[in-house]
Amino acid sequence: MYLKKSKSVGASSPLNGIGKQDWDSRRKRKMGEIAQALSVTPVDVAALRRMAISEGGLLTDEIRCQVWPKLLNMNTDNLPEKPAADLRENHKDYHQVLLDVRRSLRRFPPGMPDDQREGLQEELIDIILHVLDRNPQLHYYQGYHDIVVTFLLVLGERLATVLVEKLSTHHLRDFMDPTMDNTKHILNYLMPIIERVNPEVHDFMQQAEVGTIFALSWLITWFGHVLSDFRHVVRLYDFFLACHPLMPIYFAAVIVLHREEEVLECECDMASVHHLLSQIPQDLPYETLISRAGDLFVQFPPSEMAREAAQQHSQQTAASTFKDFELASAQQKPDSVLRRRRRERAAAQAQAQAQTQAQDMAVARPRARRLVRLAVMGLTVALGAAALAVVNTALEWAPKLDLHLFP
Amino acid sequence: MESSLELTTSLTGTYPPLRTRIFKIIVIGDSGVGKTCLTYRFCAGKFPDKTEATIGVDFREKVIEIDGEKIKVQLWDTAGQERFRKSMVQHYYRNVHAVVFVYDVTNATSFRSLPAWIEECRQHSLGQEVPRILVGNKCDLRHGLQVGTEVAQKFADSHSMPLFETSAKNPDDNDHVEAIFMTVAHKLKSQKPLMLSQVPGDGGVLPLRKSEDEDEKSWSCGC
Repeated sequence: MYLKKSKSVGASSPLNGIGKQDWDSRRKRKMGEIAQALSVTPVDVAALRRMAISEGGLLTDEIRCQVWPKLLNMNTDNLPEKPAADLRENHKDYHQVLLDVRRSLRRFPPGMPDDQREGLQEELIDIILHVLDRNPQLHYYQGYHDIVVTFLLVLGERLATVLVEKLSTHHLRDFMDPTMDNTKHILNYLMPIIERVNPEVHDFMQQAEVGTIFALSWLITWFGHVLSDFRHVVRLYDFFLACHPLMPIYFAAVIVLHREEEVLECECDMASVHHLLSQIPQDLPYETLISRAGDLFVQFPPSEMAREAAQQHSQQTAASTFKDFELASAQQKPDSVLRRRRRERAAAQAQAQAQTQAQDMAVARPRARRLVRLAVMGLTVALGAAALAVVNTALEWAPKLDLHLFP
Repeated sequence: MESSLELTTSLTGTYPPLRTRIFKIIVIGDSGVGKTCLTYRFCAGKFPDKTEATIGVDFREKVIEIDGEKIKVQLWDTAGQERFRKSMVQHYYRNVHAVVFVYDVTNATSFRSLPAWIEECRQHSLGQEVPRILVGNKCDLRHGLQVGTEVAQKFADSHSMPLFETSAKNPDDNDHVEAIFMTVAHKLKSQKPLMLSQVPGDGGVLPLRKSEDEDEKSWSCGC
């Protein structure tokens, strides 16, 4: 698998024990660098973005309290008072919010006393209704509470309120439209990204007609809904806060690509593939995947993917209509055909691999040729060129720019 | 996962199909009525520990046996919030074999929403031949009852659906939840012609046709 080739991160990842001392010293150094970036006037936001993206992210919740606001270009000197609780009954989304927050027990640390958790749940309801009340153009969606709870747990109620409001009018804005049309449009980036990296996986998924809804909760909760370890969630939030709003969809693509073997072994039908992909593994190599997502973003930037994403819908419709017809008349078995092709290809690859050094396997695969460029600029320079480019795009992005190019 | 994909059974033959048949059932209804609990209860045999809001569509399945035939029942558990319905859920209406409407007996609003859910099915061009059932959930909460059996039965009759009142939570009701989905499965199995076998990845399953001698109303449950 391509992603497992990343020696540079694997050897030093905070997620494995090897090189622990090495990581400890680099962690210390990183904390120093973050403190330095925060201490200058004006604050070195570009440096903070790099820190949030690079290995380990922002390291501690204490640092997050200081850095997350900077990543959203916010001044937190004068925080507003605690949001009033009197909004409740009157708000149109009150009942839905209440329903979703009351049953979001899993988002709170296990072992937290019930009364403490219940207090936080009340605060969570207040924050959500406060933001919605002040921004009538924003509409609550199920999953929004999964994002807000993360900010509440890291930042506390007052700071979370202002950050969530800013985030809701920027990164999350499209999800909060009256309809989910824009969200659907963003999901349409997923398959073209996958296709660029691994056309085989793309074709298989298209054949299965799995759609992209398996990634919906990933996207609109920034993976907060599906990851059970809070440390992984905040690590991803570091990354997403520092990046372009479309980065979560690149990360979704990277997860699918990381599981390419499983996907291709799966039965080629909607239910099986949907089921497989929606069950997200809890032990993902996050640092590697983050780095990979950054690489993909640089290589296939949203501007390049926008046209294909816009074409997704019409293509899907046309393709499936054709396939319906074909299948109904011939009772084809597309997946056995795909599997046979895959076996044939695997045999050919095995031959090729025998002549190649194990190190170069990914490159030797005919299907993986497009990855050569990636591998070269990849993880060894993750904190260099790629991260810098990601940071620069994040600084420049304008909300909905891409979406308006191809309405 | 059981696989018999390499077989090339003719679907129109008179012999029972050799491949595992798949019954695809979609579960819909207002947010919080207990769709996730019901489907979980059927597939896992117990009430889930903690359930959260369903975002988009969740999928569960269970292999059952009817008259010696193994059948895969696929339950598509959908988000209740309206904004997910329009652009997100329609993909999952394709090739659906049966629909389970769920309301909460302690929540009159969820019962009043049923016509909208029925309308949604109609908009996704589900024909009358697709079996539908109505499930009133949370029967264990007797004190908060807001929807009486009589009014629910009347509604069910007017839409030619059998009504089941149950509780996904009540441990004594395990057989009942099971029986509800088994009733649907039996109904689907008895339908002719046997067009339920899906080629995996198939987009081209023909709609089920009701056998001529079967009356829609005649398959109500005895509860």
